[in-house]
Amino acid sequence: MSYTELQVTTHFSFLRGASSCEELFVQAANLNIPALGITDRNSLAGIVRAHEAAKVTGIRLIVGCRLDLEDFPSVLVYPTDRASYSRLCRLLTLGKTRAGKGKCSLSIADVEQWCEGLVGILVTDKPTEHLSEDLARFQRAFGNWAYCGLSRRFRPDDAAHTKKIAQAASRARVPTVVTGDILYHVPERRILQDVVTCIRLKTSIDKVGFLKEKHADKYLKPPHEMQRLFRRYPDAVRRTQEIADRCRFSLDELTYTYPTEVMQDGMTAQERLEKLTWEGVAHRYPDSLPDNVAMQLRHELNLIERVQYGPYFLTVDSIVRFARSKGILCQGRGSAANSAVCFVLGITSIDPVRQGLLFERFVSEERREAPDIDVDFEHERREEVIQWIYETYGRTRSALTCTVTRYRARGAVQEVGKALGVPTDVTRALARLIWGWSDDGVSDKELAELNLNDQDRRLRLTLALAKELMGTPRHLSQHPGGFVLTLDRLDELVPIEPAAMDNRQVIEWDKDDIDALKFMKVDVLGLGMLGCMNRAFDLLRKHKDTDLDLATIPSEDPVTYAMIRKADTVGVFQIESRAQMAMLPRLAPSRFYDLVIEVAIVRPGPIQGDMVHPYLRRREGKEAVVFPKPELEKVLGKTLGVPLFQEQAMQVAMVAAGFSASEADQLRRAMATFKFTGGVNKFRDKLIKGMIENGYDNSPNAPSNSWKASAPMDFRKATPPALR
Amino acid sequence: LVVLLRLDQALGAAAEVLVAIVPPEVPRAKLIFAEPLANPDDLQRAIGLLCKTLTEDLEHRGVGARRLDLVFMRVDNIAQAVRIGTSRPNRNAVHLAKLLGERLVLVDPGFGIEAATLTASWIEALTERQLIGNHVAKAGEEADVSDLVDRLRVKLGSDRVFRMTPVESEFPERAIKRVSAMANSNGATWPNDLPRPSRLLTPPELVNAIAEIPDVPPRFFVWRKTRHSVVKADGPERILGEWWRSDEEIGLQRDYYRVENVQGERFWLFRDAPAAEGGRWWLHGIGEA
Repeated sequence: MSYTELQVTTHFSFLRGASSCEELFVQAANLNIPALGITDRNSLAGIVRAHEAAKVTGIRLIVGCRLDLEDFPSVLVYPTDRASYSRLCRLLTLGKTRAGKGKCSLSIADVEQWCEGLVGILVTDKPTEHLSEDLARFQRAFGNWAYCGLSRRFRPDDAAHTKKIAQAASRARVPTVVTGDILYHVPERRILQDVVTCIRLKTSIDKVGFLKEKHADKYLKPPHEMQRLFRRYPDAVRRTQEIADRCRFSLDELTYTYPTEVMQDGMTAQERLEKLTWEGVAHRYPDSLPDNVAMQLRHELNLIERVQYGPYFLTVDSIVRFARSKGILCQGRGSAANSAVCFVLGITSIDPVRQGLLFERFVSEERREAPDIDVDFEHERREEVIQWIYETYGRTRSALTCTVTRYRARGAVQEVGKALGVPTDVTRALARLIWGWSDDGVSDKELAELNLNDQDRRLRLTLALAKELMGTPRHLSQHPGGFVLTLDRLDELVPIEPAAMDNRQVIEWDKDDIDALKFMKVDVLGLGMLGCMNRAFDLLRKHKDTDLDLATIPSEDPVTYAMIRKADTVGVFQIESRAQMAMLPRLAPSRFYDLVIEVAIVRPGPIQGDMVHPYLRRREGKEAVVFPKPELEKVLGKTLGVPLFQEQAMQVAMVAAGFSASEADQLRRAMATFKFTGGVNKFRDKLIKGMIENGYDNSPNAPSNSWKASAPMDFRKATPPALR
Repeated sequence: LVVLLRLDQALGAAAEVLVAIVPPEVPRAKLIFAEPLANPDDLQRAIGLLCKTLTEDLEHRGVGARRLDLVFMRVDNIAQAVRIGTSRPNRNAVHLAKLLGERLVLVDPGFGIEAATLTASWIEALTERQLIGNHVAKAGEEADVSDLVDRLRVKLGSDRVFRMTPVESEFPERAIKRVSAMANSNGATWPNDLPRPSRLLTPPELVNAIAEIPDVPPRFFVWRKTRHSVVKADGPERILGEWWRSDEEIGLQRDYYRVENVQGERFWLFRDAPAAEGGRWWLHGIGEA
């Protein structure tokens, strides 16, 4: 006899759950629980994270949701197949549309309408007077798939309550099932759970009293313990397995279909993309097409065909065309710049062949992950583009992705401090201290500098708990411009909620979730500088009779570089910060590429890894420019032998350690997120081994550390085209 | 212009008159006796006079006294002081005189007292109130017991008069606290689903109990050499330590059981740690719960 935990709340039930999906699944694996049913409150926001965690740990995920209803006890629902999952998404979308951002308002009547194919568990704390009526109504709605939940609360009259609920259920012919009502993965987490409750109720731990979560044991327990606790209800324990067997729906079944672009002349998307590409070639290379570019284009088109991303490129192309037709300046950025196809289509303005950029960074066959084309639009006119997308693709089929706002160090200290009753001026002083505090915590010395008593228990607790709270999601907010477009109804794939802004709607998943499910998204971002440039062009036309656009601004203008070298750059995009201005006279840029390096190195990454100084020393001639191996000169030549860009890290991994292009890209991704996952180490061994095999100096820490440091840096080489 | 004047004043070129801030006058009444007094009755009369003078002054200012200091000056120049406090601002001369009179036993008149000063060292605003005859008092209006409280406090000592109020805590010994007799209610209540026995043992008494581990109610227990067999039981009600109070509380866990013995007597027992960690049994309450 086994036990499956069906009622697990993650921290995506904001400020209720206290553990992440990863922690819960790892703990479930430790305890030999075969499957976990994740039931967040009126939300599926955490379900993709849970899906990923389930894949890693090998514990099965049962997709579920806890519906907190306005006129009925709460109901846990679990879709059994794709169709019922879609109905659940529609139901949640309905409730969220009705209630507005961050809320959900549903009644039992709504559930009755959409519950086909859903397994339902009615959960109730106490046998209420109308429990029998509720159970009867619930039974009519869910039929054979209605269950009544039994939980231990460790409160007075526990046994009597359980018995009464079980009796009422048997009278209503609703089978009972045991649920654990899990809020955190290990008993020690209850402290953080109390704290988040205080934050949610905006009170302090000394005042919260009985509003605090009442029941003690809400951590994951091993199956034999659950069997012991419910030894009087062996059937109810066994039925957890029955439900687990019924609910076989997995997120892998969500097949995402990209909207097919409106076809012309009966061409397929791929044919149309090829046609547009070769037309674009004539525009980009009016004289003759260099051989290596032609080769690159054919290579890319082949790959796009194999992975069937044609429609995606066409969508981005049509958005960009729309913007151009309205005179809205736009500019592709990010990894799309690695694609020659994007270049000839006019989505980006950088020739990736000439810059030596890797297409695999953008689309990789092995990875099979959706590509990501980010396009910047003029800040003021972006809304036009967004509304055009809504009109063209329809509101049921397009929505913005969300971003999960998580507690950062500062916010965590302030909120935890408030919950523990630490005076506001102290928490404010602590929060100020945290500027630049990574994950290490505040040292005693720093506390002493603030004249705070480092032995004070509340202060210690605040810092320890704040550290635990860091990374916990606080709420969902809308992504600046990540659009998800689908062929079918989007609200059958994921619940959609209205955003705080009018006419915007947001799905419950963020871009990592979208990536994990291999959905494609288009980033429509706003960039104030583009609007500024558009106005500048207008002024030039009006007052100086000079007609310019982004492509025809004269490049490498010496007067401009002289200005930049003087650090006279207030208001100049990307290089106006104090740190940048301090660096400009040292680097003395005289070419565009110097600026690229400038922008890249004055960032937290390379400074952590002590990489800036070698570059500066080499540039100022204080250190010889040497390469560990001659073949690296091609990769590192431009940056004088110092790896500054992730792109270079990838290429070094390929040249020196024999990584494949896709592996190198995985390494880059691991570096970009190593702070959260620590996934770099997996590649580190392989990298070091490969390098030693190829006869490199065995000083493994030097290169890997410097690359770890460059991780927070996103790839800037492709970013500043607006400067041209 | 003001700046120039200030500069001149700073350099000493112009004179600046310093105006002292006068503290608001403390209400005070003083009596000087023609002949030294030693008789308590005379003193009591003197107190009555002082109170009358003072309360007229208080009324004039629209305030009431929260604290009165009465100082008797003896003929041998030794001061004898008496202090009383009131729970609400008060300017009833008769009441105040009675309170001061209660303390008169503490005064040693020696060879006689030749002067007395009564000072209202702590005053609070007190506006006029309509007096209501008993027969028209509105139903449900709280009776004003402050005079009684004042007198009890004078007689018993100010820390002896208190009121109990609920505290929101699952720990029974923390669920109540003392507040001052006239403090306003803090709004805390005890939930209905947290039954507690009518009598608590303070402190709980160690008992010997036999129970199946880990969390089955005890079969029987021995308290004060009497063996009680348990026939009915409910539990555990698990109460976890209030971690925000101290580090020791973090690991604290109490499992409470309500049990009934053969005679139908109810007991409230707890084990102070999980059985596996060697939890001991305590009897914490008796009676219906």
